[in-house]
Amino acid sequence: MKLRVNGQDMQLDVDPEMPLLWALRDELGVTGPKYGCGIAQCGACTVHVDGLAVRSCQMNVGSMEDGADVTTIEGLGQPGALHAVQEAWIEHQVAQCGYCQSGQIMQAANLLDLNDDPDDATIDAVMSANLCRCGTYPRIRAAIKTAAQKLREA
Amino acid sequence: MKVLTVLALSLATPALAAEGKVEINPPEAATRDEGLAAFARIYEVASHPRCSNCHVGDDHRPMWSGPSYGKTRPHGMNINGGESRIGAETLLCSTCHVTSGIPNNAPHAAPQVAADWQLAPVEAAWFGKDADHICQQLRDPEQNGGRDMLELAAHLDHDVILHWAWSPGGTREPAPYSLQEHVNDILIWGVAGFPCAADPVEESSND
Amino acid sequence: MGAVKTIARRSFLIGSAAIMGGVAFGTYMAARPIANPLEDGLAEGEAAFNPYVKISSDGITLITPRADKGQGSYSIQAHLIAEELDIDPNSATITPGAPGPAYYNGAVLSEGVPIPAYVETQVAETARAFMAVPAKLFEMQMTGGSSTVPDMFVKLRLAGAVARETLKEAAARQLGVSRSELTTRDGIVVAPDGQELAYTALAAEAAKLEPVVMQEADLRPASEWRILGKPFQRTDIVAKSTGTEVYGIDLQLEGMRYAAICANPGIGGALESYDASAAEGMRGVEKIVEVKAGNAGVAVIATNSWYAFRAVEAIECVWGTPDYPGNSSEHWEALEASIDSEAHFDHRQRNEGDVEVSLASATPFEAEYRAPYLAHAPMEPMNAVVQIGEDRIDIWTGTQIPLFIRNRAAAIAGMDNDAVHVHVLPMGGSFGHRLEMTHIEQAVEIAMAMPGTPVKLTWSREEDMSHDYPRPAALMRGRGVVADGKVDTFDISVCQQGLAGPWMGRLTGLTLGGPDATITTGSWDQPFGIPNYRVTGYRAPDLVPVSSWRSVGASTNGFFHDTFLDELIHEAGADPLEERIRLCIHDESRKVLEAVGELSGWDGADMGEGRGRGVGFCMSFGVPCAEVIEVTQTEAGLRLDKAYVVADVGQALDPVNLEAQLYGGLIFGLAHAINSELTYENYRPAQVNYHAYEGLRLYQTPQIEVKVLENAGRVRGVGEPSLPPAAPALGNAIFAATGQRIREMPFNKFIDFA
Repeated sequence: MKLRVNGQDMQLDVDPEMPLLWALRDELGVTGPKYGCGIAQCGACTVHVDGLAVRSCQMNVGSMEDGADVTTIEGLGQPGALHAVQEAWIEHQVAQCGYCQSGQIMQAANLLDLNDDPDDATIDAVMSANLCRCGTYPRIRAAIKTAAQKLREA
Repeated sequence: MKVLTVLALSLATPALAAEGKVEINPPEAATRDEGLAAFARIYEVASHPRCSNCHVGDDHRPMWSGPSYGKTRPHGMNINGGESRIGAETLLCSTCHVTSGIPNNAPHAAPQVAADWQLAPVEAAWFGKDADHICQQLRDPEQNGGRDMLELAAHLDHDVILHWAWSPGGTREPAPYSLQEHVNDILIWGVAGFPCAADPVEESSND
Repeated sequence: MGAVKTIARRSFLIGSAAIMGGVAFGTYMAARPIANPLEDGLAEGEAAFNPYVKISSDGITLITPRADKGQGSYSIQAHLIAEELDIDPNSATITPGAPGPAYYNGAVLSEGVPIPAYVETQVAETARAFMAVPAKLFEMQMTGGSSTVPDMFVKLRLAGAVARETLKEAAARQLGVSRSELTTRDGIVVAPDGQELAYTALAAEAAKLEPVVMQEADLRPASEWRILGKPFQRTDIVAKSTGTEVYGIDLQLEGMRYAAICANPGIGGALESYDASAAEGMRGVEKIVEVKAGNAGVAVIATNSWYAFRAVEAIECVWGTPDYPGNSSEHWEALEASIDSEAHFDHRQRNEGDVEVSLASATPFEAEYRAPYLAHAPMEPMNAVVQIGEDRIDIWTGTQIPLFIRNRAAAIAGMDNDAVHVHVLPMGGSFGHRLEMTHIEQAVEIAMAMPGTPVKLTWSREEDMSHDYPRPAALMRGRGVVADGKVDTFDISVCQQGLAGPWMGRLTGLTLGGPDATITTGSWDQPFGIPNYRVTGYRAPDLVPVSSWRSVGASTNGFFHDTFLDELIHEAGADPLEERIRLCIHDESRKVLEAVGELSGWDGADMGEGRGRGVGFCMSFGVPCAEVIEVTQTEAGLRLDKAYVVADVGQALDPVNLEAQLYGGLIFGLAHAINSELTYENYRPAQVNYHAYEGLRLYQTPQIEVKVLENAGRVRGVGEPSLPPAAPALGNAIFAATGQRIREMPFNKFIDFA
């Protein structure tokens, strides 16, 4: 099957039940999305599929449309060409161990795609399915506000 | 058992139809007692966590239950289905409950079916409701999506989310009876005239 | 206190290792300098001035040997070197380097000295310094115990200064001027006439010189610092915000294969038999390997981790019974049978006044407390890539104990220690999990089944949580007496199984006798003066093997000691904060309490109907830390509104990360106080993934304010000290708001949270 990953067409020959996460990581070498729980409890594997945030550990590649558009943290922005959410994450120095942050950033970016001025309650509702064990939440809250402002002003 | 899904479906992507899973053969006759007995079984299904955990009220908070959780509790992660009942206001149910015909049988993983995961319509709130409340609600076309008995049964045939309740995967306990038995009970209850236990018993119920 | 003698007599756990080590190796071994490991394998024109700085014509490399599990240790180590070296830390390559004895941790054992951290007499300092000896002898290159900054504060600045002065010496000879006429900035030496010589251009010359000798007194005073103490960007922050940081689990090597394992969920239990026929033909499966090292089990090597996970699930195993009771209730019975029992007495390091007389003369207030087993559950599950070569083994992994791993891998493969090359990678959290190495042992044995091929073993989350060596469960019984509105008698007994000794034995084979300080750390060593004050540790029999969990003994004792103190203060009718301040005998700690009162606007615990605040205090790892938490009882449950943290760290070196560590520790403390426990059923934890082990989510996280004090004399590590006060502060707040006193964690078993 074919997927479009970060703008590039990729060919996959795997078991249709394989979760997108493991196709990305072990077949395509895209390791930004992380394995944390395998059961949609932590959100570290979050990517965008056709513009919506999805836990890639839950999405079997066999159930995806051929040519589906997948964006991972690597495709959101790179050092030197950062997405506004990544800029805000760096300014606030959100990351500690950083392992959950790919997922946090992808979820936050999708939140801001859909809502350019989220209030505290919305941030709490959207971001509470992304687990951080280090406790970076205070800066996640602050960085989302900063990123929203950047995007509104852009 | 989810009679009002059609309302929510109009907000979301239409469910994939799964016709012909069950046979719809209403009995020729059923007494009030048989109808009440059938409804008692229907209530066992409706109040079972596999069904009621998503048939929640206007706080739009799905529930979790099972041995891992000690007691029934709101879905972790501060999840709220919102008025859309699909999480559109905050976090879409489909973020985790992806739309896929491949069953997700890993214990405690997000269940998935070939339809967009969502809460039942708020009119069909069953969580924490007693049998009489659900009985009144189910038989009232104003509250059940305008369905008669055969349409209720047909709906059960079609909706793949509620089929999931009888094959939930992982270590989850399925809803009681079977989908076919549940449809049969709906039909018995319907032929008996949708009796509820709290109804005043009429003097001459026959003829 | 005659400290050294006292240590010897008590044969205190780690202290006893020191004594034994000193005898075994003699003072010669302890004093012998360790060769600079960078000198092996230096390229032509490359200079290694010491184990921490390497410069070639291509660039500057800083060796940061304390592992980074998220606490920012690479960053602070780089900053310490860069401060004296005069470079931008972000311009250098930062690497933990190859593990070696030169990188022993001279500070981590000082917590084992039986003198409370608030006592800073010369004797106490001598005893603490003495603890560097066994650390060196036992090649303890270890990250933990909030020790990176205390251990490295002088070492790394000296390393930077030596490199800088040696480069200047090379420049001086080249220019024909004296070294003192030269200055440095941003990686260049500047001559009096303004001529600039890049460090990289001086490396070849500098390599020929003996490094210039520098003393601690030569280091720059804090007033001249450009990097330390200033808001500075973490060196890894861009990589961690763009998905480009390569954690152990992300490593990709040519021809690599992926492995998964199912091991006996009863730790230490045997693999009796197995049937892998269903897994054999599965897609992607290349090899099935029976594993004996670490915890016994069966592994699958496949072409994708997911194929390996799936195949492992299809293997039917018959497990042997491990050596400990199968169910939590039996574990609690063991603790109940051991506490206050003469036969299980372990140590009593606090015994002031006459507790017995006081308790006999009044009706004491009594209470029992419990703290459960806890998994570390870092976001990145355990993993390792191992490649077995003909005469070498390469191991790539995130670890806190690279040399223990090296030695064990060598033993498993029958090679020399020197043949094992451990490449330490950044970690997606640890919280102590990576002080263990079961997964490495397994990975080595699995890779031995496919020589030449790099094999990556990844534990599934379920495997990770069921083979974690948890924080020990602990039981406390307290008795107290109040008089005249004051706390008069405070007597607690704490019981848990031994931690440090079994851990050391598991990892090194060394047998350590003597008491185990971790049982009462965080209780016995608190800076309070109470007329009758006693803390006694009882050691339960070994149950499920346990390990260090962020803040170790203080994670349970912080809750026990401070909550029970709060109870007695309530009994006395005093104000929780004022009475703690009155009882406090340590200036820096008192100032911390006063500051948290000021920051939180403390005017009593009562905040009106359904609202309340609580204060919690614990001094751990030498850092006094106080927290105030405000809560409201709502229809949806108890809500945490605000939290305030004040800690005295001696000197703030990296203020941005310092703040993050302090609120991170608070959140980690709340996460487990509220929502998490491991219970055992049939020898295995019932909670094997985050649905049942939730931690704290964003919506339950209060607004947090942090304030740092710098009154204490010495620089301290902050990865742990803000954790212990979190549970008592919350529990005390719940009591203030609702009148409900919760004496057992997790609290959500007793009260619903919003």
